[in-house]
Amino acid sequence: MEKMLLSGNEAVAYGALAAGVKTVAGYPGTPSTEMIESLLKMDLPGTNVEWSTNEKVAFEVAAGGALLGYPTMCTMKMTGVNVAYDSLISIAYSGCTGALVIYVVDDPGVSAGMAEQDTRGFALISDLPVLEPSTLQEAYDMTKYAFKLAKAIQGPVFLRSVTSLSQSHGVVEVEPRVLPETGHPLMERNMDKYTKAGAKICMDQHQDLLNRLTKAGEIIAADGINQLHLGAADGAGVIAVGVANAYLKEACQKLAAAGVDVSQLSTLALHNTLPYDDGDIEKLLQHCSRILVAEELEPFTENRVILDAYKLGKKVEILGKNDGTYARINYYNAETLIKGLCKLLAVPVPESLAKRDIQPEAHCAARPITVCAGCPHRGTYIAMEKAIKKLGLKKSDVFITGDIGCTILGTTPPFEVLWTEVAMGASIPLAQGVVYAGTEHPVLASIGDSTFFHAGMPGLVNALQHNINLTLVIMDNYWTAMTGMQINANTMQSEQIHGWHALDLEQVLKGLGVPDLKLADPYDTEDMAAKLADSMQYEGVSVVLARRECAIQARRRKVTYTPVKLIAEKCVKCKRCITISGCPALQFEDGVMKLDPTQCNGCGICTDLCKPGALVKEG
Amino acid sequence: MQTYDIYLVGVGGQGVLTIADLITRTAFRKGIPVNYYPTKGMAQRGGFVKVQLRLGSSEVGPDISEGGADLVISMERSEALKAVRFLKTGGEFLLYDHRWNPAAVMLGKAPYPDLATVWDEIAAVGGKVYALSDKDLPAYEGRPVRDNIYVLGSVLAQTKITDILPLKDMEETIAARWPKVTAVNAFTLEAGEKAPLLAHP
Ligand SMILES: Cc1ncc(C[n+]2csc(CCOP(=O)(O)OP(=O)(O)O)c2C)c(N)n1
Ligand code: SF4
Ligand code: SF4
Repeated sequence: MEKMLLSGNEAVAYGALAAGVKTVAGYPGTPSTEMIESLLKMDLPGTNVEWSTNEKVAFEVAAGGALLGYPTMCTMKMTGVNVAYDSLISIAYSGCTGALVIYVVDDPGVSAGMAEQDTRGFALISDLPVLEPSTLQEAYDMTKYAFKLAKAIQGPVFLRSVTSLSQSHGVVEVEPRVLPETGHPLMERNMDKYTKAGAKICMDQHQDLLNRLTKAGEIIAADGINQLHLGAADGAGVIAVGVANAYLKEACQKLAAAGVDVSQLSTLALHNTLPYDDGDIEKLLQHCSRILVAEELEPFTENRVILDAYKLGKKVEILGKNDGTYARINYYNAETLIKGLCKLLAVPVPESLAKRDIQPEAHCAARPITVCAGCPHRGTYIAMEKAIKKLGLKKSDVFITGDIGCTILGTTPPFEVLWTEVAMGASIPLAQGVVYAGTEHPVLASIGDSTFFHAGMPGLVNALQHNINLTLVIMDNYWTAMTGMQINANTMQSEQIHGWHALDLEQVLKGLGVPDLKLADPYDTEDMAAKLADSMQYEGVSVVLARRECAIQARRRKVTYTPVKLIAEKCVKCKRCITISGCPALQFEDGVMKLDPTQCNGCGICTDLCKPGALVKEG
Repeated sequence: MQTYDIYLVGVGGQGVLTIADLITRTAFRKGIPVNYYPTKGMAQRGGFVKVQLRLGSSEVGPDISEGGADLVISMERSEALKAVRFLKTGGEFLLYDHRWNPAAVMLGKAPYPDLATVWDEIAAVGGKVYALSDKDLPAYEGRPVRDNIYVLGSVLAQTKITDILPLKDMEETIAARWPKVTAVNAFTLEAGEKAPLLAHP
């Protein structure tokens, strides 16, 4: 046992290594990214670790290894489950011989954008067990346990975490890595299990799946994963799920210190939400007259408690989301639990713990984020605006769908050229739909390189087949940038690791037969605008491939551009450079323009905006 | 063991995470339970960053409740306002009075709070304010020093954090983390310890 300072994501990675994991595949997404990122930094002979093209691919890659009997894992943010789900539910029905663990991080409170969805809903539909750690040590321990459980039931298991746990760091005790087994893959050609050929096979698989879930419940009960503590009979009880357990302890300490008697509470600490722990829930229902259910996001457990109470025919008052004690949005903290406990115990919130009536944020300056200094996407947005102008149109005439990633920052000031942010790859079919709906003016879609390979290609194929009159701008910065610069299929060969291969996006587009394909450099906004304007007039699918490396990565790789200097005497203080580019390296302070040389990378985009020529390339 | 919660805020690129990381490493070395929870937003700099540090208990959840932080450290004047809500009534608040203007403020299209407004909001929850001016940031061999280490020096000199983490331990952590620049970091930390405090304007 070694004590290490680890994040929740890293604890899961170490847990998987201690379980002898053979393959780990995933697609980046805050808050889950560091799980694979930490593994990719280690030398792990015998274990395959990869960033896959998307979450469905990642799941399938992991599942393949589990079919051969090995422990494997796939990882994603909650949104990724939407993408992986088609294969996920199919494999759930089939089962697999090796332990297959699906690590998903939900994001209550939405630290990273996208829908505030609850993965347990998916697990319910696919009848898969869900384990929910509540501390960093548990993140490690339960990862190991998830492999054990998956092996025992011969089917996939969800390991569900939340942002606060996966992103926080603390001390975790870890064991050495267990080398993955090799040499005896199970070559099981089993049509009843691994195909869906016919009603009988499918219904048998459905029954087997339900049996596996029941078995999981028995194993979890035998292993004592959930902890029931019975306090005063006929009194108050609390059911807490995952991280809410840590907040329950904290809330009880604070309440006790404030003179509220919490010593007689009954508690059920749930570390597994599915299958429902009906046994413990019923014991608690029999014992208590009032029960509070504390779980972030959807009231899955709470609804089950209500159902179990109904089946028992016992009248128990149940506090949670159904009665409005809690909201279904946002994350919890000790305050959430204090509020619920006081209501449960019918005591007022002690003065010392009560909410203060203050609004300090009212004076705060808004701080919208924008693209970095030197970001190539800045050039793309400016070129879009210029192209629209060249065609004698207004921004409000031209519908431009956005996609997911740094590329979406064109929705915000000062650019405000993009209109939508839906889901990975949605930009292209959405634009097609806009074209079908009938617009007078050109329609554009915009997407990043990672997102294009993730789920953008089918949309482009569709537009090509149906000969849609739209212009696609692929903002190719070579990296999966928004989530912290992961390698994708489009990353240059010199930066690929473990013998991975780079794909040439231009060749891919040519191979698809894009009839009007242009390469552009977003640092040259005038040239890119001319190309864009031309493509926007093309009848059919046109693609502008805007290529330039992410500025942050280029800096890390020591790629340099000719520096830009500010000639103060020439500056007329029109502030056009800031108003149009919003570049953080350009600052107007105490009545003078300043250029921050530590931020400026010399992209030169502002030099084109500066009419008096105060911003120029050196030399 | 005594528990001690710290809420840190600032703007991406200011080194807020580094301050929290140094405190975390020091606690780890001393065997003090610690939970470090950064919320750093997207890949870009210039956005709101916060870190929640919980010392002294291994069983706490990562999020600090409103009115729960013993200490707030803010690296930026306006962002400080987002942390006031989390300060314990009567807690300590170390404010580095530095302006990082959003574009709209630079262009004169949006207001920016003055120091007195921020100070009064902290005082309204009974907070004890220790304010440093960015104008007092010293130079070392002609270059301004890293303000986050300067601020950390002041935190260690002014606040009750030293009951848990003595200055000496922090010096060791910093020296171990950047062995090549120990002289400038020692200078910066010491300058921070002696940093003059602003009076309410
Ligand atoms: C289904 C799904 N998976 C993952 C994410 C997380 N995510 C958001 S943006 C992004 C990367 C975008 O990369 P790219 O398209 O290359 O654009 P860039 O950020 O590099 O500009 C990812 C992986 C998500 N939002 N949805
Ligand atoms: S991280 Fe890269 S792609 Fe994202 S905004 Fe910054 S420079 Fe642009
Ligand atoms: S050249 Fe101009 S736009 Fe580009 S990073 Fe420097 S200041 Fe910003």
